[in-house]
Amino acid sequence: MSELTKKTDEDVIEKPLPPNWILQHPMYQHLMNLDVGDSAQVHAAFLVYLDLAEVRQWKEVSGVGCSELRLVLLEGREKEGEPTQTVLPLPVHRGLCHRSVRSVLAIGSPMLLCVVASDSSLVYQRMCDGLLTPDPPVGIQDQGRRQHRKRRQQH
Amino acid sequence: MDSPEQKITKTVSREDASKESMANSRHVIGIHFCGPTPLVWRADELKSARELGIIGTLVGSLARQPRQNTRLGRPLELLPEEGRLLADMGRAAVIPDSTNEDPEVNPEQVEQYHAGLENSFQEQGAMVLADRKTTLLRVMTEKHNEDSGSQEDSDGAVRDRLEALEHGFSFPRTAMAVQLCTARAGLSHCPEVRRFLAADWPTPRDERSETRFRVFRDLRRQGFYLTSAGKFGGDYLVYPGDPLRFHAYFIVVCISMDESMPLCDVLAIARLGSNVKKTVLLCSSGESQEDDREEVVYTSLQWSGMV
Repeated sequence: MSELTKKTDEDVIEKPLPPNWILQHPMYQHLMNLDVGDSAQVHAAFLVYLDLAEVRQWKEVSGVGCSELRLVLLEGREKEGEPTQTVLPLPVHRGLCHRSVRSVLAIGSPMLLCVVASDSSLVYQRMCDGLLTPDPPVGIQDQGRRQHRKRRQQH
Repeated sequence: MDSPEQKITKTVSREDASKESMANSRHVIGIHFCGPTPLVWRADELKSARELGIIGTLVGSLARQPRQNTRLGRPLELLPEEGRLLADMGRAAVIPDSTNEDPEVNPEQVEQYHAGLENSFQEQGAMVLADRKTTLLRVMTEKHNEDSGSQEDSDGAVRDRLEALEHGFSFPRTAMAVQLCTARAGLSHCPEVRRFLAADWPTPRDERSETRFRVFRDLRRQGFYLTSAGKFGGDYLVYPGDPLRFHAYFIVVCISMDESMPLCDVLAIARLGSNVKKTVLLCSSGESQEDDREEVVYTSLQWSGMV
């Protein structure tokens, strides 16, 4: 009876992941098989995939190869029914040229650059074409005389 | 009691004024180069430049407030792009460096100038002496009111002191105040000469300068005002109107299409833009075509990154 119990316990506990679980992940293998980016860029793309799909719960996240740039891109929707966005994942040690950015922008969907650091932390940066006017700073008021009085006190 | 020097000043001003009113709408801005840096000296030209959307930056020390740099005066330092745009518009002329010119100065003018200086010196000396006498009188009168000597004694003492003052007084040359007329000497050319000089703009033609200029020209054409962006690590700050009235919208970073930017730098400047509520613009000059009008491409790094 105790052996039976033990066997049941073992069934309930998850098997520990092998150290190279990333390499065996179907999505990682899919990205590698696109045969476009180098292994560092594919690794970065995979980490971004995990973040989008599992942490941020994006829908329909998929990997796309861009042969022109020799890079793997990711596509997905932030929420059901929203338009697809394109994410450009890059490891931090790489450089970025404006031409590559323009190529990705030319795809037409909203673009995010995601930079992956060596500790796997991610930073997203949205990019778009043209001149995007920023939101105005908050709390702008005409100070009137107060501002001049303040300055005079300082001197 | 006009001195000859004052007379000359007045005459020249009247001439300049009439010439300027004739050429008012096509007033050419004189630019003096200090090394590679274009400078504008005349107040009316600073105004003209600003009306054309060329802001520049004041870099001159103020005589009465030398030890600060919150408020600065002339000259106005222009960005190379600002100067070049003015030249392209036909509104700027490079004023040649007069020290290199053949020193064929009008000897009569030199003589008049020195005579004027001498007059000024005598006048100033007389004024200082008069001032000292007044002070002496006042001090001695006060002293007399305190003491109780006789009237005649005190009068005599005052007279003696005044005489001693006059004999012993000397006004040193080094104490003389000299007026520098920036509107006159060497800084004005008549409009005809300026139009002739307008063709002569020194242009360094490396790719980076070229990109910067094209971006500057394109944004200016769209009606924005641009200043240098040293504090923000970019190339320009872009304002929707005069910088005195608006906050900047954009920090411009000029790069070539194929130049590789380190990602850390991209993130750093994007972060900075986010903190100061300005959009960072990556700007490049597009593919070259037959004419000079390449398209400039702009990519905005949105100031709010993804949450």
